[in-house]
Amino acid sequence: MTNLNAVDPAAVAEEAHLASADVVIAKSTIIFRRFMRNKTAVAGLLIFLALTVFSFVGGFFTPWDKETIDPFNIAVPPSGDHFLGTSQAGIDLYAMTVEGTRISILIGLIVGLVSVLIAAVYGCTMAYFGGKVDKVMLFVLEALIMMPALLVVAVATSGGGDGLRRDLPSWLLLIIVLLVFSWMGTARLIRSLSMSLMQRDYVKAAQYMGVPPRRIVWRHLVPNVGSLLVLDITRGVTAAILAEVAFSFIGIGIKVPDVSLGVLIGGATSQVNTFPWMFWVPLTVMFLLTGSLAMMNDGLRDAFDPSSSSIGSAKKKSK
Amino acid sequence: MLRYLAKRGVTYVFMIFLTTSAGYFLAVSSLQPALLEQERVPRPTPEQVANSMRLKGLDPDLSPWERYVEWLTGIVTRWDWGRSPNGAYINAEFGDRVWISTRLFLASIVLTLVIGVALGVYSAARQYKFQDRVITSYSYLAYIVPAPIAYFLVQLGAININETVGERIFFVTGISTPGMAPGWEQFVDMLAHYAVPTIAITLVGWGSYQIAQRQYLLDNVNADFVRTARAKGLTRNQAITRHALRVSFIPVAQSIAFTIPAIFAGGFFAEKIFAWPGVGSWSIDAISLQDVNAATATLAYGSVIFALGAILADFATTLVDPRVRVQ
Repeated sequence: MTNLNAVDPAAVAEEAHLASADVVIAKSTIIFRRFMRNKTAVAGLLIFLALTVFSFVGGFFTPWDKETIDPFNIAVPPSGDHFLGTSQAGIDLYAMTVEGTRISILIGLIVGLVSVLIAAVYGCTMAYFGGKVDKVMLFVLEALIMMPALLVVAVATSGGGDGLRRDLPSWLLLIIVLLVFSWMGTARLIRSLSMSLMQRDYVKAAQYMGVPPRRIVWRHLVPNVGSLLVLDITRGVTAAILAEVAFSFIGIGIKVPDVSLGVLIGGATSQVNTFPWMFWVPLTVMFLLTGSLAMMNDGLRDAFDPSSSSIGSAKKKSK
Repeated sequence: MLRYLAKRGVTYVFMIFLTTSAGYFLAVSSLQPALLEQERVPRPTPEQVANSMRLKGLDPDLSPWERYVEWLTGIVTRWDWGRSPNGAYINAEFGDRVWISTRLFLASIVLTLVIGVALGVYSAARQYKFQDRVITSYSYLAYIVPAPIAYFLVQLGAININETVGERIFFVTGISTPGMAPGWEQFVDMLAHYAVPTIAITLVGWGSYQIAQRQYLLDNVNADFVRTARAKGLTRNQAITRHALRVSFIPVAQSIAFTIPAIFAGGFFAEKIFAWPGVGSWSIDAISLQDVNAATATLAYGSVIFALGAILADFATTLVDPRVRVQ
């Protein structure tokens, strides 16, 4: 973590140099450099990428898949044949972990990205129109917060015979329900932030100068709430992965034959003492996944923050 | 103040009505208790099933809207929340379970809040020192563990302690041992059952409060009014406790509104894992038993808890924030 208030002579010199040389660094380059400077965040990104790659190509390294039963090796510990052992049904745990990691990452990424998008559109609309529109939309938002999401997830994924449940795989159904219940907090935050931004002098000045609303939104609102949005994406991804694991752990959410980390962890709890590898392997993967996202969080926030003061600490790291 | 709270209360009652109605329609259109009845041995005829459902006011042949009207009239006129497919009355079942849930969570919620805020203040006052790093790292760790898994790990730990000592100190499941003599023995038994769930919920919960309190306090420690207070001759600690602390507590108080229902939602997991027959585990069971009325009742309860949390947060804010004027 960098000290935000440190005045770094190197930075001052660099800025002076930049001003005189009239060099403009592209914004994406600045963001990229700032992010790369944060060692923890880079480590988190690497772990996350490694897990993603593992979840896609990991299946090629084993002859087993998540459906084939090996009747001669039921509930065996890790060995050369089965890298991570087998489950009580005799299914290769390595193959299931690869599959489960992919489903968990997929759920996390889709829910994290789309829910922030919904929140941004909803929150900005509220703040931009204000008045009656704001009141009605806020009412809908708070009513949604009041609904206990878990019950709705349980009803949606485990009710009686219904067309939707038979046609959709359970992970897709879970994504839809999680999306409905995951954007409200962010939307509230974005609403209050953009409301205060609308009062700022530079926005007012732009309005009086006749700048069209859409340009005001893109030029002045979005960059200022951008760091928050990015932060909420990683947070949303983490929250979605955690929600999936928690729901599947107690038996709602993802249903067998679909596999996810939560299903694997939840299914192994009753035999944690007899078959410890079945519990600890998927749990470790989940920790790596959520841990790497948490490590990236701070670096991303700093990189996207337009008022970040971390510029220049590239040459001399000040603690 | 009272008028303001009453106004908020009316809004929330309306909201509770809406969410509960929506929940009822969702449950009534997707839960089908009649299907479960047919799995009985000996298998009843469809007529028998429909008949027994009709007697309990769960007629599957009526449209959702007709059932909704019937259900709502029952609540409004007699405060009768209907019956389960097995014939039990929701009102009677609900009373017991609410008490169990409240007993389980009241202590944990208070502990979570007090420990979280206290550690937040402690770590903010020692920013970047060893204690701060340890406490804040722990909070981030708590943030990346799903609640049910954390509870399960605490449970494993308690079992390990029991095995090491060779005696049963902690009870990891259930709410009490049947057949205890009332008085001291019963009290000790209750504590032994309480300890593990309360510790587990508190351990998981305080992290987010600690991070929030630390962050808000740090935002305020260098504010002008704190510097002014120090310039008047107060020590750093005095300036923080007298001026910065109060201001930094306002956003934390606001977040209580969202945390009480979150702890309640976490309660599903806690009750399920520690086998406490409270509202949370009841609602999960109700859904797997295709019990429309019980599922809706628990949903309504969840909404009421949220509304109470929100009103409490408003109240706390008006108490600590002198800038809030209530019209």
